[in-house]
Formats: sequence, structure tokens, C-alpha cells
Amino acid sequence: MNALAACAEAVAAAPGRNEKIARVAAYLATLSDEDLARAVLYLSGRAFPTSDRRKLSVGHATLREALVQVTGWDLEMIATCYREVGDTGETVALLVRRHTAGAEMTLAQAETLYHELEHARRTTQKVDLLANAFRTFDWLALKYFVKGITGNLRIGLQEKMVEEALAAATGLAGEAVRAANNRSGDLARVARAARSGTIGDIEAVLFHPLEFMLAKPLDAAEDLADPGEWWVEDKYDGIRAQAHIDAGRVRLFTRGLEETTAAFPEVILELAPLAGPLVLDGEILAWRDGRALAFSVLQQRIARKQVSARTMAAVPVIFLAYDLLLWAGQLQFAVPVEERRRRLEDLGLRHLAPQLRLQSHAEIEERFLAARDRGNEGLILKRAASLYESGKRGGNWLKVKRPYATLDVVVTAAEQGHGRRASVLSDLTFAVRSGDRFLNVGKAYSGLTDEEIRQLTALFRTATLERYGRVSLLRPEVVLEVAFDGVQKSPRHKSGYALRFPRIVRWRQDKRPVDCDTLERVCELYEASLR
Amino acid sequence: MEILFRPEGIYLPAIDLWLDPRTPVECAWLSHAHSDHARGLHRTVIATKITAGIYRHRWPLPEGRQQEVLRLDPGQTLEFHGARLTALRAAHILGAAQLLIEYNGERTVYTGDIKLAAPICGWATEIVPCDRLIVESTFALPIYDFLPAAEAKRRIVRFASESIVAGLVPVFLGYGLGRGQEIVHTLTEAGLPCAVHGAIAGLIPYYEAEGISFTGWEPYQRRKDETRPLVVTPGLQDSLAAPPARVRVALVSGWAAVDSARARSGADVLIPYSDHAGFLELLSLIEQTGARRIDIVHGYAEPFARLLRHRGWDAVAAGASTAEVQV
Repeated sequence: MNALAACAEAVAAAPGRNEKIARVAAYLATLSDEDLARAVLYLSGRAFPTSDRRKLSVGHATLREALVQVTGWDLEMIATCYREVGDTGETVALLVRRHTAGAEMTLAQAETLYHELEHARRTTQKVDLLANAFRTFDWLALKYFVKGITGNLRIGLQEKMVEEALAAATGLAGEAVRAANNRSGDLARVARAARSGTIGDIEAVLFHPLEFMLAKPLDAAEDLADPGEWWVEDKYDGIRAQAHIDAGRVRLFTRGLEETTAAFPEVILELAPLAGPLVLDGEILAWRDGRALAFSVLQQRIARKQVSARTMAAVPVIFLAYDLLLWAGQLQFAVPVEERRRRLEDLGLRHLAPQLRLQSHAEIEERFLAARDRGNEGLILKRAASLYESGKRGGNWLKVKRPYATLDVVVTAAEQGHGRRASVLSDLTFAVRSGDRFLNVGKAYSGLTDEEIRQLTALFRTATLERYGRVSLLRPEVVLEVAFDGVQKSPRHKSGYALRFPRIVRWRQDKRPVDCDTLERVCELYEASLR
Repeated sequence: MEILFRPEGIYLPAIDLWLDPRTPVECAWLSHAHSDHARGLHRTVIATKITAGIYRHRWPLPEGRQQEVLRLDPGQTLEFHGARLTALRAAHILGAAQLLIEYNGERTVYTGDIKLAAPICGWATEIVPCDRLIVESTFALPIYDFLPAAEAKRRIVRFASESIVAGLVPVFLGYGLGRGQEIVHTLTEAGLPCAVHGAIAGLIPYYEAEGISFTGWEPYQRRKDETRPLVVTPGLQDSLAAPPARVRVALVSGWAAVDSARARSGADVLIPYSDHAGFLELLSLIEQTGARRIDIVHGYAEPFARLLRHRGWDAVAAGASTAEVQV
């Protein structure tokens, strides 16, 4: 763990993605097979593999209690220090520096300790284990050991980069490592297989989310070289989801690879009878009378751990399938779209997205308008004979959609960006007008050029009313035009509404704050979306 | 002796003296020349020769305005409104001093900004026994612990050399007075010629006047082909001569002790070195003075005062802790 910590510190200071990967690869190459398996997990910010159901159950309170025992500082002092540092692992490390014997921590010791923490049932046992570790080991090793508990290293190293480094360190193609990790959700196992040359033997694991295939936007119908070579489906405005099904068990995962099974019991009932093992790609939709309801309706079902019968009756949901990832226990990534579709149709699903062969350019506009008439967002085009490219936004799926509307809004707060934009105010909160007040309706990060951001940053600095850390509250002066995909209710913003996926279209230097759109206009758009 | 902690500074009504006031007053002690301590045109200024010089550079006297400057160098004493004032060396920036105030048999020391060991450019702190200590608390949390000056110098030189070897332009972020000159001195002393931003370069003569060497630097000009190390003030790295892909940035500061400084400053490499005391250093300073009454000013005054009270001191977080601190 000491060497891993030194590597992580160097990665944090390394300027670019490639240099970070090179440093990790150089470190990984020095490790034994077993240590390699441990290191790739810990560098991904995990104590256990993704597909491993075990949980550490070590919360901030447990960590703080161990810190109190070791350092003698009270909770108030520890909280003050944490506020300054902003990361639990780093706070632990800085505070135990003067209280630890500083012994080297091997990766095997870290593994044992993670297992003991997981195994310990009582909080007091967990606190004792942690306190003992805090007194014993090198503080820098502890920093990264604790980051493995909290789940984020914060050194600008994503799991994808660890995959690449592992590939480089074992002489494999990055794609092979990525695919094996996607299939199994177990980077440690992939690392061992990479060393023994058996990476091809790693099979897909059910109930672990696979990466979704993504679509590129198609800006103009004419951009499509050969319209006859595409399949076309409606693009639905729901929650993209993956259903894993086997022997009456069903689990649902969202695009962010989070589990969302508990929120949709009727979907589970709908899918459970299917003969598995099976993985479907599709959309969770609020559904009534054979058509999808607006996303703002479905929103009432999101993020609920338990659903009442009343909510289920008020907002009925379905799973509309449109692709097949695993069938009869076999991954379908290398199966052409036509064959996947045939197998999908043979499953006898209650809800299957209609698919047609596209004929002409003109048909795109026609079908787009028809999809919008059905309350859907637009179209998805799938290239004939194409494969399922898990985790990619290649050119084999295209999406046709149009901005819902644009609004002129005024910027009320600006926050420092990250990475390349760390020194400019690039994350903007914006508002619409309500009488003589401005009420926030959203936040946008993209759409302006670097030059515009630089100019705006200078302007914002002069318009700053108050600063809270990274955020500056501004006098409302700058008007932006934003595009977005819908309006939803939001308790977060004072206006009571939030724009979905807002992006900045342009800086309206020709407009004053009084010229910006009103809350009434936002209400209208919301009401219209419910119809 | 009555001491008033006011938003505009610390005031001693019995002898009508302000300590580092933020607005113009009758008579002010300036502990050092950072602009949050030495600012405004007071009628009378008491300061060390170096502090007074840099203060004048930054606050030139307008035509026709008069100002009395009483020079009080370390070890010197001044009878003032019935009190005896003595300047004492403070380890901070060049010329920094503490003030010992003896009045009615009570000894009070105002540290100004301070640490114990000598900085890269400047002197070590001189400790005298006192009854009451007014001390700063910029980094008075147990998470803060800084590199010794020699190690900081080694890291500055190593960062510059390694970047150059890798074909990158090393950029140092340092404030206009203090850290900036220390970095330039460290680089030039190691034989690394560098380009220096105007705000830092303009004060180098005050350092040279104290016998500190600066050979081989040039004023920073916006050249597209710059390859030498650059020493600039924070916030300037965006408008640098070299293309961003070729630049590596180091932050040399007390704030560099925590990783989030990277995102805040845009620096790649953090060198945690400060001209303020780290936590243990500050405790040690307080213990050594033997003072029982401790007034804590800007920084983590509240938690630090609480901690000192737990350990038996009569400690109070004094006045506003909202002062901006230059590091």
C-alpha cells in the first residue's frame, strides 16, 4: 500500500491522462500476480470488485470515532479539519501523522483489513480495527486505504484509465481488458487472467450491469449517407435501463450503472416469468393507453426506495425493451442487430419498441414528427448488421432529436470549473424573471467557447456580490440563451422548476436582464409537457 | 492594558497606538509589509527599516502629504506615550517584526504574522517572555505541518529541473511579496535562470539591499517560445506565454498542504511551505513565551482558542477573523 500511495500521489500531480496512465502502468508492472489483482481494485477506489455484493459498511461516523480514539481530538476539531480538507482519507492521514508508528502496509495487509472490516458485525469492532490500523501504519498508505473505504481516490484516475494501465502493464490490448471488466465487473479477476493469458475465458456475470451502447446525434437527415442501410425506432423519453433476468429474479440498472430495482415493482413482476438468463436493454416509461407519458410524470417514481400502491396506480410504469445483451446465457455483443431483434421478438415480451427499415431521407422527418406526435422524444437509428458496442458512442446508433425550446436566462451565480477550467468561472446557475426578482431554474456547464468563458469570468468578478468557497453570487447582468429537453418540478430551485439537460446556445450580449424570459413562460412549458 | 479588537485593527487606547490597522489612523505599528497589514496613509508609522521601505514602495506619499516614519529595528526600543516599545525579529517575510509593549509593569507581545524557524529569505523568530500574547492562527489546525525551508528549496529546484528535463516549462505561483522573491532567489542560487513577473520583480531590490543574491533572472515577457522557469502571481497562469500542454505548475504555499489546493489553484504539484507557523510550531511558540493570556487573531481563532483553553491557557478568539491573509 505504501508503493500504491506513492504512485497515487504521483498520479495526482501528473498533468495529463496519458502521463497518469503511464505512471500507473509502470507501478503495476512491478507487482506479483496477487498484488496486481489487489492494486487494480484499490486504484479504482474499491475495496471489493464491482460485482461483489459485499459491503464494508464503514461510514463517516465509524471513521471519526476511530480518529477520536487515536488522536485525542474531539469531534468538533475533527469536523473543522474535515471541512478544510474536504476528503475523509486525506483528513485521517493528516491527523494520524503524529500518532502512528508508521509501519509499512502491504497490499495483502490492506486486503486482510478490508475483509476484517466487512466481516465485523458490530460498529465497535470496526472502530477497533480502524483505530489499530491508524496507530500502526504509514500515514500516506492510510490515506489511500481510507479512500478505498469512502470510494473515491480523487486523483483524476477513472476506472477506465486503470483498465488501460493494466493492459499496458500486461501487454494486452486495452479493448480486451475493458471488455473483460465490463463482462465480469471484477477487475481483480481480470488482472489475474491478464497475467495468465486467460482473459478470453472470462464470461459475463448476470446481475452486474454492462455498459450501455450510446447514440451519436444526427444533426441533419442529409448527413446520412445511405438511408436504406438503417433501422429506425422511436426514441423514448424515460429512464434508460438494463434488466437482468434469471429464474424468476430480476434486477434493474440505470445508465449510470446504479441499481433501481426497488423503485419499479410492477416491472419486476412483468419480467420475472421470462426464461433467463437474459439481459434486456430498454426504457422504463410511465405508460397509459398504449403510449408513454411525459418524463415529468415518470419523475414522481424516481429515487423511491418503496412505492405505495397509490403511486403505482397514479403513475403506472412499464419496461419497453429495444435490445438484447445476453440471451440463453450468452453475450450478444457480437451478434448483428437483425439477429438480436429476432431473438428479442421471439421472447414474447409484453412491451417491445416497434422497429422499421428506413427507406429515404424524407422519411426521417416524417417519422420524427410521428414520434413526437406519440409523445416520444425523436428517433433512434441503428445501422443494419451492426453489433452492440457496449460502452461506446460510435456511429452505429444515431439519435434524432430537437431542442424542446430555448429560453433567455440571466446568470445569478458562477462556480469555478475543474481541471482545465479550474481557474475560470465556468459552471453557471441561471434564473428567469418573476416580477422584479430572479428565480433560479437550472445550471449549465457547456456551450461557451474558452474565449467567452474568459471574458465572462472577468465580468463575473466585477459583478460578484458574495463568495462562498468556489461559488460567487452575482448581480444579475449577463443574459444567456439556453436550450433544454424539458421542464420538471424541482424543490432545489426557488422557482420550483428545473430545466432538463440545459446547455448554453449563446451569450446574448444584446439583451438586458429585464428582457429575459419569465417564470410564467416556464410554467406554460411545464403545463404543456403534461398534456 | 486594555486592548480593543476592532474590524479596522487592534487598538491600544492607553497609548493611542494601532497594530496593523486596515484604515488610516493617527499612529500605526506595521508588523510587516503585506498589504493586509501595512496599508493606508497613517499620520505616524512605526516599523522596521525594511518594512517601512517596502510599505513606502507600495503606498507612495502623495505630493504635499506629510508622514512621520519612526524606524524601530529588532532590538531597538522606543519610549512612546508612556509605554516602552521594542521590536523583535519575526520569522515571516523579509523585515517582519513582533512588537513588545511594556506598560505599567505588564509585558504584551504582538506577533504579527509569524513562524519560528527562519524562512528562505528573512530571520528566525526571537522569543521573549511576556504576560500576554496576541498571536495569529492562519494554520492553527492539527492538519497543517509544513516543510522546513531547506526541504522546500530542494523541492523547488527539483520541480524546476525535472520539468525542464521533461521538455516542460515550470511555472511557480507565488504572491508578489515574500514567496515570489524566495522562489526566484532559490532558483537563481541553484543556477536556474528564470523569468519573473513584474509584481514580484519590482520588490527584488529590497531583498538585494539586505545582501540576498538574485543573479540570472529577467523580467517576464510574453514570449511564445519561453522555456525558462516562470515565477508569476497566482491567477496569471492562464495568460502564460507557453502553451498549456507544455506547462507544469507548482504552488508553493501553506494552502498546498491539502490536495484540494490543486483544483483551487490549477497547480499540478503542491509544495507545502509557508511563512506562517504550522500547528505544532505555533503551540511551541506560545509555550516558549510563557504567556498565560493569549489573544488569537485571524485564522482558526475559535477552534484554536478552545483548544488552548482545554490545555489551561486563558485564550480568547479576538475580534473579526475575516481578515484576508496573504500567503
